[in-house]
Amino acid sequence: MKIEPVLYGERKVYTVSAFNQGVSRYLGRLPAVWVEGEVTELRRNEAWATVFVVLKDPKTGATLKVTIARRAFDRLELGLEEGETVHVQGRAELYEARGELGLRATTIERIGLGEHLIALERLKRKLAAEGLFAAERKRRLPRLPRAVGVLTGADAAARGDLVATIGRRLPSAKVVVCETRVQGRGAPVAIVNALRALAGHAEVDVVVLARGGGSFEDLLPFSDEAVVRAVAASPVPVVSAVGHEQDTPLCDLAADVRAATPTAAGALVVPDERELRAALDESRRRLRLAVSGLVQRDAERLGRLADRLRNAPRLLLERRRVALDHTGARLQALSPRATLGRGYAIVRARGEALREAAMVAPGDSLEIELASGGLGARVEDVRP
Amino acid sequence: MSEERSFEELQKELEDVVARLERGDVAVDDAIALFRRGEELYRACVERLQSAELRIEELTPSEPRGDGA
Repeated sequence: MKIEPVLYGERKVYTVSAFNQGVSRYLGRLPAVWVEGEVTELRRNEAWATVFVVLKDPKTGATLKVTIARRAFDRLELGLEEGETVHVQGRAELYEARGELGLRATTIERIGLGEHLIALERLKRKLAAEGLFAAERKRRLPRLPRAVGVLTGADAAARGDLVATIGRRLPSAKVVVCETRVQGRGAPVAIVNALRALAGHAEVDVVVLARGGGSFEDLLPFSDEAVVRAVAASPVPVVSAVGHEQDTPLCDLAADVRAATPTAAGALVVPDERELRAALDESRRRLRLAVSGLVQRDAERLGRLADRLRNAPRLLLERRRVALDHTGARLQALSPRATLGRGYAIVRARGEALREAAMVAPGDSLEIELASGGLGARVEDVRP
Repeated sequence: MSEERSFEELQKELEDVVARLERGDVAVDDAIALFRRGEELYRACVERLQSAELRIEELTPSEPRGDGA
């Protein structure tokens, strides 16, 4: 359709619609371009066929209206938010009803990611060069922490999984939970403070960073330099259970141990009570066995000594008896009775043994003792 | 048995006591003393596991102080 002016004498006059239409056609001949800007406004409604975005040049503040078909926008699955920097591909377009210039977009790409990635890689190299991620810095986790510190966001699932695992393995455990802001502006400072508070707790012997999955941006605070340094400098060992398996926030590298999930972290920080008890009982069984073995060995030695001790008096007695018998025999040999046996006799007068004849006078009575029996006699004569 | 000693220290000592007794090169008086020590360590370890249920404490970090952070 040709756009015709209305003629007022020499003057060609266009209607508003015609003007807009004409400019619009002219713009339509311009090539498709990429435009970079910050999203300052995003309006998407299920009832609308078009998504409206306002881009801003962060340097000058200049703005540009961008439209994109809702279906095309939804297919991109950007989860775009205001404040993000994007690249938009499209053509200049005039909204004819209002005469407003805009950009009709065919696609939108987020570019913040690339910058973040580069910055992250740079930070990673810097911290690695400082030795923050070195294997020899890694500490062993305590076998039985007095308390487990848990740093978590308002993320019920991660916290729940972790606490449930700890409770199942070690019912006597103590958990100190510090809930803090883990994403968005201010999260790094909050995380550093929470980590300090937990590590400073009198009973906390190990800290778990429990943060479930999230987008790359959501997990960025866990790659923040201050957070990574705080993890490395923590006075107690730190277990990092941040994001999913495929995510590697820098705090994972600085932590003493990395756990794929909060559940895995739970299994790392506390022992299984049944296993622990079994190990203790085994120690006690061996303790008792060892000591009873020793005692038995010594008891046997003692028993042999006791036997010898008990036998000693009997042996001594026997030896004595033999000696006594011997002495007895010798004594026997000296006895006067033994002399009488050889034919001697003992003669007594008035109870006194006679050694001289003059001790008696004729007529005195005498007692004569023989080896067997005795005699009464009278003196007939004395021969001094 | 002091509260300051960690569970692993206690358990380690228990294991050491058992190992010494198992080597058998101790006098009987020492063996009895070691045995008593071992039983004591065992009880101390088990005591650490005795607690009715999981205790959870909520901690609120104090406001950061101007320590240059």
